[in-house]
Parts: sequence; C-alpha cells; structure tokens
Amino acid sequence: MPCADSLRVQAYFDGELDAIGAAEVERHCETCAECRELLRDLELLRAALRQDLTYAATPPALRDRIMRALDQDSATPGARAVQKRAADWRSRAFWKGAFSAIGATAIAASLAFFLLAPPLSDPLLNDLVSAHVRSLMPDHLIDVASTDKHTVKPWFAGHTDVSPVVADFAEQGYRLIGGRADYLDHQRAAVVVYQHGSHVINVFSWAAARSGRPRAITRNGYHLSFWSAGNLEYCAVSDTGWDELDGLVRLLQTLDAQDKRG
Amino acid sequence: MLPHLDAAHRFARWLSRSPIDADDILQEAILRAFRGFDGLRGSDAKSWLLTIVRNCHFTALEQQRRRAQVPLPHENDAQDGGALVATTPDPESTSMRRDEERTLDRLMAALPEEHREVLVLRAIEEMDYREIAAVINIPIGTVMSRLARARAALKARWLKESAGEPHAVR
Repeated sequence: MPCADSLRVQAYFDGELDAIGAAEVERHCETCAECRELLRDLELLRAALRQDLTYAATPPALRDRIMRALDQDSATPGARAVQKRAADWRSRAFWKGAFSAIGATAIAASLAFFLLAPPLSDPLLNDLVSAHVRSLMPDHLIDVASTDKHTVKPWFAGHTDVSPVVADFAEQGYRLIGGRADYLDHQRAAVVVYQHGSHVINVFSWAAARSGRPRAITRNGYHLSFWSAGNLEYCAVSDTGWDELDGLVRLLQTLDAQDKRG
Repeated sequence: MLPHLDAAHRFARWLSRSPIDADDILQEAILRAFRGFDGLRGSDAKSWLLTIVRNCHFTALEQQRRRAQVPLPHENDAQDGGALVATTPDPESTSMRRDEERTLDRLMAALPEEHREVLVLRAIEEMDYREIAAVINIPIGTVMSRLARARAALKARWLKESAGEPHAVR
C-alpha cells in the first residue's frame, strides 16, 4: 500500500505544485522514507529514459511526402472553394514555395502553428516573461511613478536608450501608472506600466534589431503581443485576456501613427 | 514550417509501435489538422496536433480490425501509396530497428497503451498534466493516477529484466 501522499510527491517531481505545495512535499519527505524512495525512483527513471530512449526526428523523405500530400489534398474538388478565398493570400511572395497550393484553412492553420509554436531558441521571450514577473514583486514595478506622460517620457531619456510613446488611457480603461528601466536584448529598454482593472500590463520597448518574431505568443500563461513602430520594437506583456491586451496595443499603435503625422 | 511535426511523429510511433503505420498516421493527422476538421481549441497547438494524431491512430486500428475480418485485395495500397512511399529502407528506419533492441525502448513498447501514452507525453514530450489531460481527454486526476501506475509498471518490468538477465543494464 503506497503512501497516501505519493501522487502529490509525483506532482512535485513533475513540477506541477506551487511553492507552498512543494514546500509541504519537501517537509513530508523528511519523515517519509517511502516517498523519499519514490522520488529517487522517479529521478532514476527520468535519467534512464533521457539516456536510452530513441528520439527520432522526422525523416526528410516523410516530410516531403506530407507536403506533397497537402498540395494534392487541396487540389480535390472540396478544397476548391477555400482555395479561391486563399487566392490573394497565396499571391504574397512570403507564402510562395512553402505553400504553393494549400487552401485558406490550411493557411489559417499554419499561421496558428507559426504564431503559437514557442520558438524555443528565442531567449528574449523568457527574458520578457521574467521581467514581467519580476516587476510584479514588491517594489520592482515602477522606477518613476506618475500618471502624467510629461513626467514619464522625459525620465526615459536619462535612464534608457529609447523614447517610446507614452500616454494615459484612463478613459479607455488603461491607466498609466509609471515607467521603469529594464535590461533587455543587450540594451536598456524602456517599460511603460499600465493598469487595467486589477492587472498590470508592462509595455517594453527597445531598439529593433531583428524581425521574424511572432506577433503574439503565450508563455507560462502570460500573453505577449509584439509590434514595431519606427525603429522601435514593442512588446506588451500581461496576464489579461488577449482582447484586453490588444485593446491597449491598438491605442498605442494609433498614438504612434498620430505622433508621426503631427 | 511544420512545428511539432517531430513530436507528432514520435507520438505516432509510440502509439502504433510500427514505423510504417506511424508514417501514415502522421500524414493523415497533418492533413486533418490543415483541413481544419478538428478546429484548434484554446491556444495549445502541440496538444491539439497530438490529439489529432491519437484519433488517427484509433481510426487506423479500427480499419485494420475490419480489414482483418474481411480480407480485401490491396490494389488501393499499390495505387495510392506505392508512388509516395520509399520502398528501400532508409538509414533512419534501420537505426530505429537497432534502437528497438535497447532495453527501455523495448520495455516501453511492451507497456499497455494506456500506460505508454501518458509516459510518452510526460517523459518524452515533457507536457504538463493539463496538456496530457487535453490530449487523452481524461481528467487531470486520472492523468496523475495513470502516470503513477505507468511508472510503477515500467519500473517493475525493468527490475524483472535486470534480474532475469545478468548482463542487462541495471
């Protein structure tokens, strides 16, 4: 008969417990020899599986076969209707070659793949999420507390390398609460902090270095929305819903466009 | 351009335990995904794709069972599949065969499907409980208990193996 806590110990091992739960399990294991052994077994098993199991990559031949099948599939009568709708999409050079004859749904699905697949190679995403989480800790959120853009914006000039758009959107539900300097992508990034309901939205901005970043991505439950304006790259991070986050992004983009015209 | 393809391919192999079936399952799953038959729910593309792979695996199993009951000539296979499938064994599948002789690969393949799939999703694909629950369509509590049973079963087989064969890895 296993210890009643064995499933919790397993959940602890699998990284499923929060800090409080993890501390409880660690305390429990101090007195329960059976659960200590379980943890050891789980470690051994993980190490053995990592070492011994076959991790086969998809052979190029199979990849090609699937791409061909996708092409063929969209040539069947049922797919023609969606194909027509996809015509203007397909004409974009970006899609040529990769998806020469795939229907609209296919393109939508591939877009979803493209946007939602976490590009593991991009450490910036982790940095952004970490910076956001760090900002939520006591006394880390704001360097300059102000609801006045004429206070926040000049402050950035002395403390960061960039000068982003700043405005208070209290009427639309996004209250400007201050600014902060963060180190990001090897430069001093500016962070404008907004409050939306009980949520904090950090809007990072830094000098654009490269493109090809996804427009929207979810990491560890936080939404990240990217856009660029002028020579700056922006990223809004929050645990609000996408709609709320996009609302602020649209306001900032509009403001940026107005700034340029004016 | 096809992220999660490797994960989907691995999962198909572990489910079907046959490289050839796995290729067909993967192709069918990608086609289904791209046709948008099984609309992307939530925001997790990997869980979504693996769910489709799993459904395709069951569909293929069902077809195989029916075919076994009423044997049919294989003209369709020759027509449709023949041109697309490389008939010479590629180096990759040869190495797969060799790898299958590895103890843990073999022990994993011998586990009941119910145990195998949770272990693969957790240990190989490193998915969290919520994602595993979504793929297999079971509650998280069941994921936990099934995972515990799967790990215990693999450990038991492993111990038995090492006890039975003095030369086997400990």
